[in-house]
Amino acid sequence: MSETNGFEPKIVAYVCNWCTYLGADLAGTSRLEYPSNVRIIRLPCTGRIDANLVVKAFEIGADAVLVSGCHPGDCHYNAGNYHARRRWILFRELMETIGFDMRRLHFSWISAAEGKKFQQVITEITEKTIALGPYNPYGAEPRVEPLSPMPQAAAGACDPAAELELRTAAKRVLESGQANVVIGYGARGPVFITRPDDVDRLVWNANCHQNLATYLKRKEIRALGKAAIVMKGCDERALIILERESQIARPDLHVIGMACNGMGQPKCAACDTRETRFADEKISSAQPPADMPDRYVAVDQILAMEPADRMAFFTAEFDRCLKCYACRQVCPMCYCERCIADKNRPQAIDTSPHRQGNFAWHIARAMHLAGRCVGCDECTRACPAGIDLRLLNLTLARTAEQQFAYRAGMDPALDPLIGTFSLQDKEEFIR
Amino acid sequence: MSEQISRDNLRTLVAGWLAAGKKVVGPVQVKPGMALFAPLRSADALLLDRWVRPSNSIKEVVFPRHEALYGYRIGKNSVELFDAAVFEEQIVIGAHPCDAASLPILDKLFNWDFQDEIYNQRRAGVTVISVACTESDDECFCTSVGLSPSAERGSDAMLLPRADGGFDVRLLSDKARGLFAEAKLAAGSDGQAAYAGPASKFDPAQVGAFAKDHFEDPFWAEHALACVGCGACAYTCPVCHCFDIVDEGNGREGVRARNWDACQYGMFTLHASGHNPRNNQAARQRQRIYHKFYMYPEKFGEILCTGCGNCARNCPEGLGVLPVVTEVSHG
Repeated sequence: MSETNGFEPKIVAYVCNWCTYLGADLAGTSRLEYPSNVRIIRLPCTGRIDANLVVKAFEIGADAVLVSGCHPGDCHYNAGNYHARRRWILFRELMETIGFDMRRLHFSWISAAEGKKFQQVITEITEKTIALGPYNPYGAEPRVEPLSPMPQAAAGACDPAAELELRTAAKRVLESGQANVVIGYGARGPVFITRPDDVDRLVWNANCHQNLATYLKRKEIRALGKAAIVMKGCDERALIILERESQIARPDLHVIGMACNGMGQPKCAACDTRETRFADEKISSAQPPADMPDRYVAVDQILAMEPADRMAFFTAEFDRCLKCYACRQVCPMCYCERCIADKNRPQAIDTSPHRQGNFAWHIARAMHLAGRCVGCDECTRACPAGIDLRLLNLTLARTAEQQFAYRAGMDPALDPLIGTFSLQDKEEFIR
Repeated sequence: MSEQISRDNLRTLVAGWLAAGKKVVGPVQVKPGMALFAPLRSADALLLDRWVRPSNSIKEVVFPRHEALYGYRIGKNSVELFDAAVFEEQIVIGAHPCDAASLPILDKLFNWDFQDEIYNQRRAGVTVISVACTESDDECFCTSVGLSPSAERGSDAMLLPRADGGFDVRLLSDKARGLFAEAKLAAGSDGQAAYAGPASKFDPAQVGAFAKDHFEDPFWAEHALACVGCGACAYTCPVCHCFDIVDEGNGREGVRARNWDACQYGMFTLHASGHNPRNNQAARQRQRIYHKFYMYPEKFGEILCTGCGNCARNCPEGLGVLPVVTEVSHG
């Protein structure tokens, strides 16, 4: 006890039923001793271990978390651990960006025959955690100084002829019966034009911010019938994901692609999708900016800070969260009929807008968008508290691109990032 | 003739309150283009130099987004309940008349039947020092709902910006007089060029009259199409006051807490049976307008809106009260 100063760390181990749990069992029946600090929670498969469970463990006082399952090739369900491995790669990057102490998050493969390895892993984690001391990730003092402002692109000039062309196209599709409604931009925001005489309500200017793809999920809009939709190049990437996830029937949708010179949002500075690529008709043309910055420069700025400072920064950001769910509601990818945040049996995410509830929500949201977020940044634009949500999405987009050469919504032929796996996925972080 | 305070002296006064350990809430810059009402860490952070409309409201000083109502501890043969709410003296400075007016409206709501002790205790500790508006933006409409850029309702003191950068001071309550007892006030001529505010944009009585017999009108469905069902309008509204009660804790201890809730969520009216009386967004948007301009006036004799325009500024889809009610009011 003297060397631990009385500190007995709580270590939560999420283990799979078929390998690591049996490994732990073997350690026990073999009379191998290991510290009793570990609380083992058995789940069917590592593929079933939600990232949210790791967050939950830290929330309720875990000083370290271990996630462990079958070695590659050994999965009882063939590929659950491969799916898990890919998710962990993304999850680790997210936790790293937010500033969690990564020395407290462990992954391992332990087979049913490796009682000895289980003993070693638990012993090592326990010793390491004792050396680190107790963990209170949500105890950070919020950092109030604002970051240096992110590079911002000035809104580009809009082709006035494009607006007229758009109205003409809208009139045509409505009159011909090709569509019953044109989803486009009006003077104040999205408009839903059902009568050919109303097409003059459509506008095309530097305030056409919304990603209108989000309306394709809404039953009130679906009830209007076959839709034609105005899409910018960035928005169109959402259609590709939605089609891939069987949320829309692309042939039923008429896409009017608008070339865009930027809407003055941070995302516009590094935009390489100024024109739609798969629209049914395209209006106007646009060129990518000549000197395009790296699209992940904002993540680099965050990662240049020390982990404790990152945590302080995100604590200040998330402390402002009101849980109004504007981020979720404007997101074209958030189409679940019942969001995990709205489920209460069990309550996976605290509904309260307090610190731990807000962290849990934003981590879950980012993870659910991993490999799916197309970077339209609507969440960030919609947030009434000014939370820089794009930093989380960009972190995962960068990981997807660097580790898996994957950019969501760019290539319609690619399988979804989550839901597939490769035998070559890197696992240097797994013991 | 009136009393005046220079901007520097006002800042010194605020610094004194902070040094005395008081909680002071005022508009602060959160990031470029965004100001919020938040507790001040220093008097320098207080935005006083120009007109600014924070994205949130001051209702949080009396009705926090999350508050513990009471706690529980489970013993071997007993359950112990204990008070969990924390009350403190709070000074709000830099509120606009549309913010300050929200408190008397909320007072009625939290006291019409059940006297909400927690609200009332918080409320008793609040002093509101408003700053009159010298400009407005396109979403402002205080003059349409019976207020004005220097309306005193709900304020304990009103500061009227002067051309020289200082303020004319109107102390309206003993609480404010106490806070300003140490202030360096000077006597002088009124230095404020009265600002009349935005032109009136609609008539609330007409909205209420339209609501009375247009419950099933297709108008609501047409005007709700762009709504995506978030709570940004309700949560930044000075007078929206719906809440949810949740229990948070474990088998040994926890709290019963009150969290904000919003009528635009699909789950807001979802029954345990699965039935949802407001099962589409049009019904939810209609509810928001009805509550503000028809139901609340019927019950309390005044509308549930102070004209701050936060709903419209914060709506990601360009909706909000103003665009809908102007359309109603103008036929």
